[in-house]
Order: sequence, then C-alpha cells, then structure tokens
Amino acid sequence: MNKTGGKNMDPVRQIWILVILGIVCIGLEVGVHFFLHTAIGYTHIFYILLILAAVWYYKKALWVAFALVAATFITSLVVGDFNWATLLRAVMFLLVTYIVAWISEERDRGRLEILAQKEAIEKEHYALVGYLSEITLRIKQPIKILRDNILAIRMEFDGKIPDIEMVKMELSTQLAHAEQILQNFQELNKEMVDEHSEIPNAYKEFLTR
Amino acid sequence: MPIDFSRLGEDKLFLVLSTAEMLKRNNTQIIHTLTGKGYRVVVITTNQPSAVLKKNYINENIDLSKVTFIDAITKYALGKIPPGQEDCRFINSPSNLTDLGIAITEVLHNYGGEKTCLLFDSVSTMLIYIPSTNISKFIHFITSKLRLVDAAGIFLAVEKGLDPLLLTQLTTYVDGTIDMDIPSAGSPGVPVQ
Repeated sequence: MNKTGGKNMDPVRQIWILVILGIVCIGLEVGVHFFLHTAIGYTHIFYILLILAAVWYYKKALWVAFALVAATFITSLVVGDFNWATLLRAVMFLLVTYIVAWISEERDRGRLEILAQKEAIEKEHYALVGYLSEITLRIKQPIKILRDNILAIRMEFDGKIPDIEMVKMELSTQLAHAEQILQNFQELNKEMVDEHSEIPNAYKEFLTR
Repeated sequence: MPIDFSRLGEDKLFLVLSTAEMLKRNNTQIIHTLTGKGYRVVVITTNQPSAVLKKNYINENIDLSKVTFIDAITKYALGKIPPGQEDCRFINSPSNLTDLGIAITEVLHNYGGEKTCLLFDSVSTMLIYIPSTNISKFIHFITSKLRLVDAAGIFLAVEKGLDPLLLTQLTTYVDGTIDMDIPSAGSPGVPVQ
C-alpha cells in the first residue's frame, strides 16, 4: 500500500471508492455488454478504477485488472463477440495498470527518500545546535568565572601585600582553567571543521591548530 | 552575615546559586554558617586550591578542625601538593569523576557518626572540565549517596551559568534551591523552591 505519509486519503475511504467503482464496472460489463450486446465505450470507465487502484496500491492493482479482464472474457465468450479487440482491450487494461503502478511506486519511493534525507539533515542540525549550546555553556560561563577569579586575585593587592605563594597558587589554578577552556574551544573548532566540508584546507588547519 | 539554612533540618540537599563575583565570599559564608550549626563540612573544591580556601577560612575565624577537603584542582593546576596539606584528599583532575566519587564515599563513611554536610564548589567550574550530561549524572550519584547516609549537601553554582536543561535536572535532585543574591529580611539568601 501507498506509504507516503500524512497526505494520503483515508485507506477505508480508498477501499470504498474502489469497491463502488468495481461494482459500477461489473454492472456496466453485465448490463451493457451482456444485455445490450455492445463492447464499445463503457470500458473507458474501467480505467478510472484501474488507475486509482494502481496509484493507491501499486502493482497489487494488477489483480483488479485481471478480474476485469476475466469479466470481459467471460461476457465476450457468452455473448459470442470474442475477437482481437477483446484481447487488445485486456492487454491495455494490464499495461495501463502496470505503468501507472510503476510510476506511482517510483514517485513515492523518491518522496520517501527525500523525506529520509531531510530527516537526517535535521537530525544532524539539531545535534550540531546541541553541541554548540554545550560548548557555549562550557566556554562563556567559565570565562566569566575566570575573569572574576582574576579580579578577586587583583583585589588582594588593594591596600596590603598579599601572600605571594597563595597568589602564585591562585594564578596557577586560573591558568589551568584557561588552558582547559582553550582546549574546549579547539574541540569546538574541530567539530565545526569536520561538519563543514566547504571550509578551505588552510582555514581548517588554522582553526584546529 | 549568616546564610539562611533554616530548613537544613528537614531538607537535606540544596542547590545554591550565586553570582560569579560572590562565589568565593559565599563559599566562606556557607562554611561559617554550617560549622556554626555544628556540622562537619566536607568541601569538594574544583575552583580554588584547598590551601587558598583554608587561608580564607582562617581569616574568617572558621574552626578548620570541622572542615575536610577533597581537592580536585591543586594537583591538576600545580602538578604537586603544597606542603602542610596532608589532611586533604587530592584528586588528579576535576574530570576524574571515578576518583572523586571514591573519595566522597570514603570521606562520608569516615564521618558516618557525625552531622555531616558536603559543600560542592562549584558545579559551574566543573563545566570547564566535563560535559553537562556527565555533571548531571555525577551530581545525581552524589545526591543519592548523601541521601543513603542521611548527610546534607550544598551544591554551589553560578546563577545564569547553567543552561535551563541542566538547571532543571539539578533542581530535581535537590530538596531546594537558594538564590544567595536575592535579599530578604534578616538574611541574604532565601529558599526559593
């Protein structure tokens, strides 16, 4: 069955339409061909049923085509007008159904592929956005903390001579924080470079250096 | 000024939010309040070396015999342990959560008989070293551990320094959130949740 997603008609309604059209076609076959002894004109109505069945159910619609071919053959044999035109009509039923089914199947497969690609691109995009948020969180706030810690160290010098050993220790700690922030930033650059293949190699090297 | 931890009896775990500028001062104030209430405080520090914190505590007349340190930054930043720090537990790096977890478990076990409170300084600094998902898992581990041994816990973080998802997760692990920079009658910090 057609699986192209949300834009399809309700399957129950599809079945009802096909059943009603099937009854109409059989009614025409019996009424017009069997009773009025004419095999011209009404069979065009059959194509509505066959095309709709092929669009909605792809190659399964060939079973409907076979059923109509069988009905045509039976009435032609009973009426006694079985000839090359009957065979041609039967072949056309099957051929049209097959072509429409094939085109519909290919079209919907293509649509599904596009949807899958779109989904994959969106997934990658969301992952990148999430990664960027995380890195922002791990760079922006730490830099603020670093700034405030350095400010606090600076304030230790106000009006007094601080313990130099302590200050050295505090500065070394802030240096370690800064180095880690830099490392996080380099990781971000690397991710960006890996993500965007269009960035020229020279810039890639510069960003990941 | 004392910090309002009036609910510390009933509620055990708090997320304490502070501005970055006040983080160091608020740390000292919290220790002052807790030791004043008779708590043994276990300080996990990732922001300042324990030697620096000790000096600050001494300046604020805090009884250091009631304070135990798990220091995850000194060894990483200085590459060695400064003399006179034998009473502290040192972790190689703030990102070494396994060793940090073991140290916390052991220290909490050692002070099982005492009224203990763990002070984590700070969640925001941990963001420099580990991803937020790992921080969330680790804080969950610590809070579970604290609940098991019926100990209190205070997690210091810089306000506006945590993304909404991480903040929501941390809030669910603790009993209350205290914003230390919202003034209220009689105390600089009030429980906001």
